[in-house]
Amino acid sequence: MSFRRVFPLARRVIQQLLADRRTLVLIFLVPLVVLTVAGVLVRLEPDEIRLGVVMEDEGAALPVGGGGDAVNLGERLTDSLGTLTENLSVQQLDAAEAQSRIEDGKLDAIITLPADFTAQTIQNRAVTLDVEYEGSNPKVAQMFDTLLNRAAVQAIASLSAVSTGSTPDVTVQATYLYGSAEFDQLDYLAPAFIGLFVFMFVFILTSVAFLRERVAGTLERLQATPIRQIEIIVGYMCGFAVFALVQALIILIYTIYGLNVHYMGSLLVVFVVELLLALMAVNLGVFFSTFARNEFQVVQFIPLVVVTQVFLSGALWAVEDMPGWLQPIAWLMPLTYANYALRDVMIKGFDLIQVGGYVLALVGFAAAFVLLSAQTIRRQAVG
Amino acid sequence: MSYAVEINNVHKRFGRIHALRGLSLNIERGMTYGLLGPNGAGKTTLIRSIMGLVKPDEGQVKVLDAVMPSKDIMRRVGYMTQSIALYEDLTVHQNVAFFAAMYELEGDHAQAIREVLELVDLADRADSRVRELSGGMQRRVSLACALVHRPDVVVLDEPTVGVDPQLRVQFWDHFHQLNAQGVTLIVSSHVMDEAERCDRLGFVRHGTLLAEGSASELLERAGTPTLEEAFLKYAEQGPAQ
Repeated sequence: MSFRRVFPLARRVIQQLLADRRTLVLIFLVPLVVLTVAGVLVRLEPDEIRLGVVMEDEGAALPVGGGGDAVNLGERLTDSLGTLTENLSVQQLDAAEAQSRIEDGKLDAIITLPADFTAQTIQNRAVTLDVEYEGSNPKVAQMFDTLLNRAAVQAIASLSAVSTGSTPDVTVQATYLYGSAEFDQLDYLAPAFIGLFVFMFVFILTSVAFLRERVAGTLERLQATPIRQIEIIVGYMCGFAVFALVQALIILIYTIYGLNVHYMGSLLVVFVVELLLALMAVNLGVFFSTFARNEFQVVQFIPLVVVTQVFLSGALWAVEDMPGWLQPIAWLMPLTYANYALRDVMIKGFDLIQVGGYVLALVGFAAAFVLLSAQTIRRQAVG
Repeated sequence: MSYAVEINNVHKRFGRIHALRGLSLNIERGMTYGLLGPNGAGKTTLIRSIMGLVKPDEGQVKVLDAVMPSKDIMRRVGYMTQSIALYEDLTVHQNVAFFAAMYELEGDHAQAIREVLELVDLADRADSRVRELSGGMQRRVSLACALVHRPDVVVLDEPTVGVDPQLRVQFWDHFHQLNAQGVTLIVSSHVMDEAERCDRLGFVRHGTLLAEGSASELLERAGTPTLEEAFLKYAEQGPAQ
């Protein structure tokens, strides 16, 4: 293989893309627009929080210094929650009913006030609340946390037996049915989208670029020069890799600083994964362009190659949650490995060794696709 | 001196289509050889096998004494395809420079590119995008891409299709200049009036060679006033070999 030919070819691919302003704008702008829309949708404010209150508090007598009257802080809290804001609907339920409703998605949170709630609060001079969040919309937990603090303070503020002048401590002990605290839908989606954009754009651009080479006859002319099939493939890969990495960088910066997505990992590992995705996409593009006669036909491969992978790659739904028969198919998708690697890097801060299994799988896919596409060109050449 | 191109009993099938049926042909160096025949006669397959883009099922194609396909020989052959086959988004200079790099042109690329652009009279349009050029100019760029590496053999598939008469005259001037420098040209055409400009002609039909010779020889043997009629007469008689 001669880099005296590979690099001029890579340069030509870059020159062609630079000449195509519209495509250039699309590559770099569309991901930002889509990510923004996705971010907005995903982070939509819940218009009503449906709260279930499991009210078991039996109340307690205040200490003699506080007046000695019986008081039920649980009831007070429930009342003040109900009057706090119209965005909160409060239902009193028993524990079993509340649990079944939250699992059906009919409640966003359950607050459980145990029998000794008042007694404990008076004794500890602090409020401890057990809250279970449904968790699929992280925004609920954020909003509710604030409301609950205000309600609790309001409910007990007047009781000098509890609040000795200062604001009482309110502790929310949160559990999650799904997800966890500190967790944001976009945190979960962003790594997958970063991988997806690179894959999708490089796939579409290569298949169209290669189709043009075939249709315009430049591929025929290129093959009449001493260049080898593998040099054509490697040249294309070098040219598109440059764009894939620039795109990945722009998306990453925007995701982290523009959309405030949690990012713990190493940029290098993200780039390694992005690079591998780009190389796979180039080769799949070359391969699929063989089966297309015009650009419209190339577009038809997008649902096949891109959309199936979006649904099955764990981008939107975790592979573990999929039905058993679907999981092996999901693990046949290169994007699945990329998503898991990117997620581990960006959310958990894993290094290259820790995501090594996924990266090796991606290398394997890339190598297989190189052979596949080189074979496709050769077959065309001979005739 | 050995031949520039030697084609020996070449067969090529594409599925049920028998494109070349035992075709043999020798082309001497430094001449312009015209391959004439109707569309579908096998001219393009013949040209592609000379270029090393098609491997014969049977028989042998030798270019400059090497059996094709040979990457070393491809460096010494130029190819102007039937379609314009250029990167339309790129400039004239970028296109020519790209093919110069692909052929691993020896020495000064810039000098070679300048010379070939002057040859096709496009030096002042070097920085124009190919898309913006007229069809005739695009043809000239295509020719420049086939000549930039100073090949010993140049294969031109229907180079003058859709070319206006003035440009056609210019092209033939270029071709004869190249012949004078010892370059062998192989030109395919289905237009008979082009043929008289070639040193030697081969009539191709149904994947075989019907007849061969200079234009005047072919006319004399057929006893017809025009090459068109001569072609039809040879076609009636069947293959020469």
